[in-house]
Order: sequence, then structure tokens, then C-alpha cells
Amino acid sequence: MAPVQQPEEELFVIDDELWERLVDLTGGTATVCYQCGTCTAICPWGEVRQEPLSVRKFMRRAQIGLQDGGPSLWFCTTCAQCEVYCPRGVNICDVFRSLRTIAWEQRTVEKGLPSLLWSVFWNGNPWTQPPSQRSSWAKNLDIPVFDPAQHEILLYVGCTSSYDKRAQKITLSLVQVLQAANVRFGYLGDEEPCCGESVLSVGHKPYFNEIAKNTMQVFREKGITNVVTISPHCYDVFKNHYPAITGQEITSSCKHYTQYLAQLLEEGRLELGTPFNSLTDRSAVSGTADKHRKITFQDPCYLGRHNDEYQAPRLVLKAIPGVELIEMENHGQDSLCCGGGGGRMWLETAPGERFSDIRVEEAAKSGANILATACPFCVVCLEDSLKGLGMHDLKVMEVAEIAASALLL
Amino acid sequence: MSMPELHNVVCVKVVPKPEEIRVDKETNLLLREGVRSEINPPDMNAMEMALFLKDRYGGRVSILSMGPPSFGPFLRIALSMGADHVYLLSDRNFAGADTLATTYTLAEGVRKIGGVDLVFCGEESSDGATGQVPSGLAEWLEIDQLTLLTEVDVDFDRRVGRGRREIKGGYEILEVPLPCVVSVKTAANEPRFMDYRIKPWAYEDERVTVWTADDLEADRSRIGLAGSPTVVTGLAEAPTRQRRREFLEGSPEQIAQQLASLLLDDV
Amino acid sequence: MVASHYNPSEEQKAIWIYLEQESGVLENVSLELLAKGRQMADQMEWRLIGLILGNKTGDLVEQAFTHGADEIRVADHPLLENYTIDAYARLVYQAILVAKPSVFLLGATPNGRDLAGRLAVRLRTGLNADCTGLRLEPESGVLVSEVSGFGGGVLALIEMRSHRPQMATVRPGVFEVSPPNYDPTGETIHIPIDLTEDMIHTRVVEKVSGEQVDLSRAALLVAGGRGVEGNFKLLGNLANLLDGEVGATRPPVDEGHIQRERQIGQTGVVCSPKVAICCGISGAFHFVVGVEKAETVIAINTDPAAPIFEFADYNVVGDVHEIVPALIEAIRERKNSSETNL
Repeated sequence: MAPVQQPEEELFVIDDELWERLVDLTGGTATVCYQCGTCTAICPWGEVRQEPLSVRKFMRRAQIGLQDGGPSLWFCTTCAQCEVYCPRGVNICDVFRSLRTIAWEQRTVEKGLPSLLWSVFWNGNPWTQPPSQRSSWAKNLDIPVFDPAQHEILLYVGCTSSYDKRAQKITLSLVQVLQAANVRFGYLGDEEPCCGESVLSVGHKPYFNEIAKNTMQVFREKGITNVVTISPHCYDVFKNHYPAITGQEITSSCKHYTQYLAQLLEEGRLELGTPFNSLTDRSAVSGTADKHRKITFQDPCYLGRHNDEYQAPRLVLKAIPGVELIEMENHGQDSLCCGGGGGRMWLETAPGERFSDIRVEEAAKSGANILATACPFCVVCLEDSLKGLGMHDLKVMEVAEIAASALLL
Repeated sequence: MSMPELHNVVCVKVVPKPEEIRVDKETNLLLREGVRSEINPPDMNAMEMALFLKDRYGGRVSILSMGPPSFGPFLRIALSMGADHVYLLSDRNFAGADTLATTYTLAEGVRKIGGVDLVFCGEESSDGATGQVPSGLAEWLEIDQLTLLTEVDVDFDRRVGRGRREIKGGYEILEVPLPCVVSVKTAANEPRFMDYRIKPWAYEDERVTVWTADDLEADRSRIGLAGSPTVVTGLAEAPTRQRRREFLEGSPEQIAQQLASLLLDDV
Repeated sequence: MVASHYNPSEEQKAIWIYLEQESGVLENVSLELLAKGRQMADQMEWRLIGLILGNKTGDLVEQAFTHGADEIRVADHPLLENYTIDAYARLVYQAILVAKPSVFLLGATPNGRDLAGRLAVRLRTGLNADCTGLRLEPESGVLVSEVSGFGGGVLALIEMRSHRPQMATVRPGVFEVSPPNYDPTGETIHIPIDLTEDMIHTRVVEKVSGEQVDLSRAALLVAGGRGVEGNFKLLGNLANLLDGEVGATRPPVDEGHIQRERQIGQTGVVCSPKVAICCGISGAFHFVVGVEKAETVIAINTDPAAPIFEFADYNVVGDVHEIVPALIEAIRERKNSSETNL
């Protein structure tokens, strides 16, 4: 319906106040950027689009205090591939987040993102699912509520692994593995607070700060000191973002589950003795009599690049008899992002522009049968690509699921 | 000549999360203890519509609600979104109201606020879901109404409210003179998130005005349980819908027969 | 308590049904209400009276008689050609005050709700909204309405003992239409048109009819995913037979097989149909969110481990391209045979 009055045209102005705010929000990280453009060259968006995402331009905007409110601000998945190669060590992901913070203030955010925040606000999760059903995945199990007197660790499930039906399988597998290792663990059931990563990823720093304080409060009240997370995204915010906001280390030890499993293996508490040939693998390559399962590992951005953890998941996989670990060409710190980070799980990515399409092809080329990963977003995105490309000879599995299948029966 | 300031009121209700409500099998009363609350989702769409007009034309948005003091913090969320003031009609005598009493009370609230151009309502509330408040409110106020709008606009020069309404196979654009009541179709827009820069202001005491029945000089025989012609005589939990997950067997033709039966006989 | 304009002792022992019409066609819900009204009127030995407002309504009056009305009150005038709250509320209000019926029912359609809400206040009476059940108590003549609240989780019985008319809006599709076997004649009373043009404040600036896709209000959905391999024509045939709409998951929309307005799910439309038939859909979370409110879900997929089977009531492990044509055949057969049986 045509408006009765046309809004006035807005002028494009460089704003000193905005510049100051951006310096403040980013801790001045963009100041050292000398506009070499390596970031733009290395950004995965250049592989799926004619015109790459000009990361360099966004750094420039942060340097001079400009915000144009355009849609490309939301392309960034915060995969940090650019950060690996930036010769000046600019915290590029944080610059994007900060520019997004300004976008919230100017109300130029992508459609669907306000609803994402409201979902976290009203439901305690970004998936619009009822808070009272957060622990439905556990209804047939007898998982105790966390008790500091009894439990070694808190299993922090996270929103996606609680509600997403595919990701719930990761949770169930991990529970199996922990029980097999006789780990005394508890969880928070329906009371588990959201870590807030989805909010931070789309740049709403003030709301994220509020969530961090509230979640930390819950952890403190419940006497939680050792946290093991399922998603690297939760792990990342607990480890790297909470301390600055809440004024203390999140807990004495916060680990991603692959790190914890690696520890259990080292301590001899966990045995993964059953040779991996995955009888439940329905898409098994026919006629393979050999017991070697060729597994390649997708380093999740938030475990690998953001937290320098490349070893733990590989340690777990290599501990399983019959596993042959193959590396894709782009692995470790060059692992290709699945495309889910930076809030993109809640935004539409056009067909032909999906990083995970490229990734699964790369995985297939490596000769692997199994594409293993350690992040619920990666699982969802990669499986989606497999289906879309009609690739039946490759299967995506979480490290937890592979480990569960290798438990001594 | 300067434009008169646009002043809109949004009626907001705070409701329990529907999936958490249970009915006590013995007393047949609703079990509200420990149930999480939220702003009635359609009212969020109504608020967004009013704030959209404020963005465009300036002016004020007042929030009006009838409920207990516990509604307060929820209504301040509206202030964090950009509304200017909250009027909470709170009095034990308002309790137990059906829609006749509720719309009467809200109308008295609108009258007391005064100088109102448009009154926004959500399409319905997630608890009662009667959808009657917008038109009932318009009748008490003796003003015009436009319901189930997906877009709203104002023409000051001609003093009319304008709205787009979806109808079967198409849409219509309607106008009524101001002041008027408009109801906003659920999910017609995406409500903006709170602005954290104004949150501290939103939580200052003076942002919320509480009015009792006396403040409104309300007719006692028209409010609350006393003013409600309808009575609830029975309450029960609806049987929970668990998916059957029943696998149909047979040849495609046999399965087709079973499905046809399901579709044509039972639906 | 303030009384309504008339009380039970003054009431006409009759059930009035507001017969809603749009462009010269009676709404289905009005026919449903006539059927239910006829049943209740027979039970109570009351009269069933239909109320029609419009322009050139002759055919509608006749149709209403064939569905069981004893009497029709009609307001026929060019000013009533299109529904406006001003004109309709005024005339219906006057008609009711003259006759003082015990019960007044309307369909809970957009216009029905618009009208009922305003009228109930004008009449200072109660209104039971969006009812899913109705019954009249034989001794007292009290209308007991069944309504659902809290997203359908709670059922309540509501009545009003001392206010009249006992008003209720009824959810479309709850009651069944009866075959039009009654005599197409009966008593027709014309309502005086106490109306002038300036009383109508609502101005229609623009009215556009046409293809507007609104899946969110569809009563039946046939949704297709990758397994359909772009053959939405097939799904369209099924949908047409069942008076439903066609929807899709994201992949077929991405591939250009169907327009984006028909995408169901987290980033598409969230629907709440009575029936959702999911064809060749694996059941990823972000799609399921779009149909989880459906009353009945039917799923067809070749993969026995497809997640959709956990979200559905009736599961078929099979090929859409075999099952759907067979289903279309089966439905056609049944429709043909039921027609010949009449």
C-alpha cells in the first residue's frame, strides 16, 4: 500500500560519533589494518559468488566510522579464515559484529533477525521452541540434574542439540559415551539457560551481555565449575566472551566435548574398542570388505580457528580401531566453513552459494566414506548439501556418534 | 501550520505460555503456578504497527493494559521498543472479566488517556482467543473500526485511518474517520527488538501509571466478574496431540484407499 | 450486572443464524450453522430463522430455505451490496431488538467476528467466540458453548443465564452441511432499511480480487519436497480435489519449481491446516516448524528412516509418484460413486 507521505531521503554522512563508538566496540582493532585486501581474497564468499565479499571495505568502514546498512554485512559467517592470514592480526570477526551492533541501533538488520532475538528472549532458544520442552530429548533417560556434590562435570547441551531432531542424536550418542566411561555428570534440564551465541553472532552485543550475566548467575548459583559443551559455539562464548563481561573465568575448566573425550581416553577411563565399520551405516559403500573406514574430519570454525583445537577430535577418531583418517586438501586452519556461523543458520543462503556444497564435494574427492565433524551446525549444513547434491556415497557423522558406535559392547 | 501530534494507544495483554497451561482435574481450575508468561504475540504485531507510524509521523504511543501489577515488567518491554508510556488498569474488581467487561474497562482507560487517534489491538489473545476485543472496544468508544489489517496508515489532512485487509483471493484498502480502532492481523509484520539504549529509561518508575476502578470512575456493575454475562461452567485439558506415527501397509492402491478414507471420511 | 436489552422471559423461542454472503454466495459456515440450527430447533421445538443482508438476495433466500430455515429476515438494498460494519451492525441490531430471539449464531469468519464483537456490546450481551461445539439445554433453553483456549490445550464450556440473545460465533468446519432437502419456500420478512449513505463511514478505497497465495489460512496442505522432483502439477491435482493448497520445502523453491510464497517452514510460512500431506519431504527441523500445528499429518517418503515419520500421524514408505496418482484415483472414484448415490 503506497504510504500517504513519502519518507525523506537520508544523506550519506561520515559520523565522528559513530567512529568513536566503533573504536570503542572493537577495541580499536581495525586501526592497524593497512587495507592489503588479503582478507577479501581468502574469504570463502569469493568461491561462491562472482563478486567476493569485500572484507577490506568493511574494515575501512570501521576505520572511518561508516555504516551503510546494506545486506552484505550479514554475509560474514565469522569463520575467521581471514583472521588466519591477516598480516596485522585484526580481529575481523569482531569488526563485523560491531558493525552489526550499529545496524541494530539503526534498525537496518536483515529480516528474520529480530524474531531470532525475540525467540531467545521469550523461549530461551533461537528455534522458537517451547522452553518447557528443552529436555524432551532426555525423557526416556535418567539423566540427573546437576549436583556439585556428586557430579564431575555439567553437560551443557545447548539449544540446537536440545531441540533440533538431527542434533539430538549427537546428544544421545555423547550421553552413551559418557556413561560408558562412568563419568559422573548432570545437566540442567529445562532450566538450562541459553549461552547467547546466536545473539552475539548477529551482533546484538548489549543483549548478549545481559544473557552472559544471567547465565553466569545461574552457573554460580548451581555451583557449576566444570562445563563440557556439545557445540563449539557455546564453548567459544563461555571461554572467550563471558570472562570480560562477567568479570571472572566462566568455570575452572570449560571444554568442548571432543577435548573431554580426548582427556578420558588419555586417563584410560574411556575405551573405544569396537572396530569401526558402522553396521548402522545405511549408505555404506557396497562391496567393501575392508574394515578400514576412511574418515575425513571437518574442522569446525569455532573449535579450530577460533580456539586452536585441531588435535582433540583427531585423537578421539584415531583411537578407534579400523579408522583411517584422511585429510581434505583444506583442513586444519584452512578448513572451509560450513556456512552456518555468524547467524546464517537463521538466514536464507541462495542455492549455488552454499559453502557446504563445496565442502562435501571436497570430502568426496578425498576418498573418505565418512565426513566427520564436531559441531551441530556443520552436521546440519553438510547433510543438507549431501541431500541437495544427491551424494549417497558419503555420510556425515559427529565424533560423538562415531565414538558411540565404537564403545565396547 | 504544524501537524497535530499523532497519539496512538496499543492494547496489550500479558498471557501465560499456552503450552504450559494445565487444568487441575479435581478443582477444574487453571493451574497457573510456575507457568511462564509472555506478551500476547499478536499484540507484538500491533505494537510494531503503532511504532512504525511513530517512525513515520512522530507523535506518541501509549500502552494500555488491564491486569495485575505483575504485568508491569512485561509492559516496560514495550517502552524499550519505543513506546512512550504505560497505563496499567489494575484493580481486584477488574478480575474475572469476560470480553464485555474487558472492553468496557479498556474503553474507560482510552477515554481517560484522552486525545487518541488510533487504538491498536492484536487480532486475538493466545489464551482466550475470542478476537472480540477490537470491535467491542470500538462500540463502547462509539468510534469506527478496521479489523485484521496487514498495513496501516494515517491521513492527517483528511483525518482518516487507512488499512489494508486481506480478503479471499485478494485484498481491500479501507478508510474510516479518526479516531478509530484497528486490529492487526497476527504475524503481519516483524516486531522490532528492544533498543538497549532506552532500556534504563524504560525501567524508571514514572513510566508506568496505574489506574484503579476509582481512578477510572468505572461503573462497578460493568467491570470484572460482576459485569460479565458469560460464565465458565466446565474446564478440561484437551487431549494432548501425540503424533500417531502409524505406518500404512500394502500396495500403492491399498494405501491410496486407506488415505482416501482418512481424508474424505474423517476430515 | 447490567442487563441486556431484553431478558429470557421476553425472548422469542427461536434460533437466529446470520447468513453471511460474499458476492452473492452464501458462506459455507452459514450452511453449516443452518444444519446445526435445524437440529437444535427440532430438539427444542423452536423456530429456525436466517438473517440475510445484501443486494439482490433472492436466490440466497431460497437456498436458505432448502437448508432448513423456517423463516428468513432479509434486508435487501444497494447500500448493503458490500459488507460494512456501520450498515450491517445497525440493521442487525434493529432486527434483533424487534424480534428478541433467544439464540443468535454467526460464523467466526473475519467479517463475522468483526460484526459479532460490535453487536454483542451494543446488545449488552455475552458472546461465546469461535465455538467448537454447541448444545441447547432442553429445560432451560440455555445455550452451552464449547470453546478452546490456550492454543487448543484447554476446553471450556461457557453459557449465559440471564442475558439475551445468547450469541456465539462458530468455527467454520466444525459442523457439517446437510443436503438441501427442505422446501425452497417459507416466510420471508423484510427488515426496514433504516439507513442513509452518510451513516456508512467505512470507505472502500480499492478492492482487488485475484490470486493471492496465503498458505497460513489453508485448511488442507499438500506439501512437496525434493522427492517430488519438481512435479508440483501432480500435487496440484491432488490439492484441487481436496480443496487444498500446494506448499513446498526450500529445495524445490530454490530450484525454481514453485514460487517462494509457497515455501513452508522457519524461513517461509507457518501453517496450521487440518490436514498436511507431506510428499517426498525428509522432515528437516526448519520445515517441520511450519506444519507442526496441523491437526493431522500424512507423510510419504521412500526412506523408512526419514525424520518426517516421527512428526506424522500416518506414514507411507513409498514413492510419491506411485502413491499420489493412486490416491487421486481413489478419491475420484469415491467422489463419483457418492454423487451417483444421491
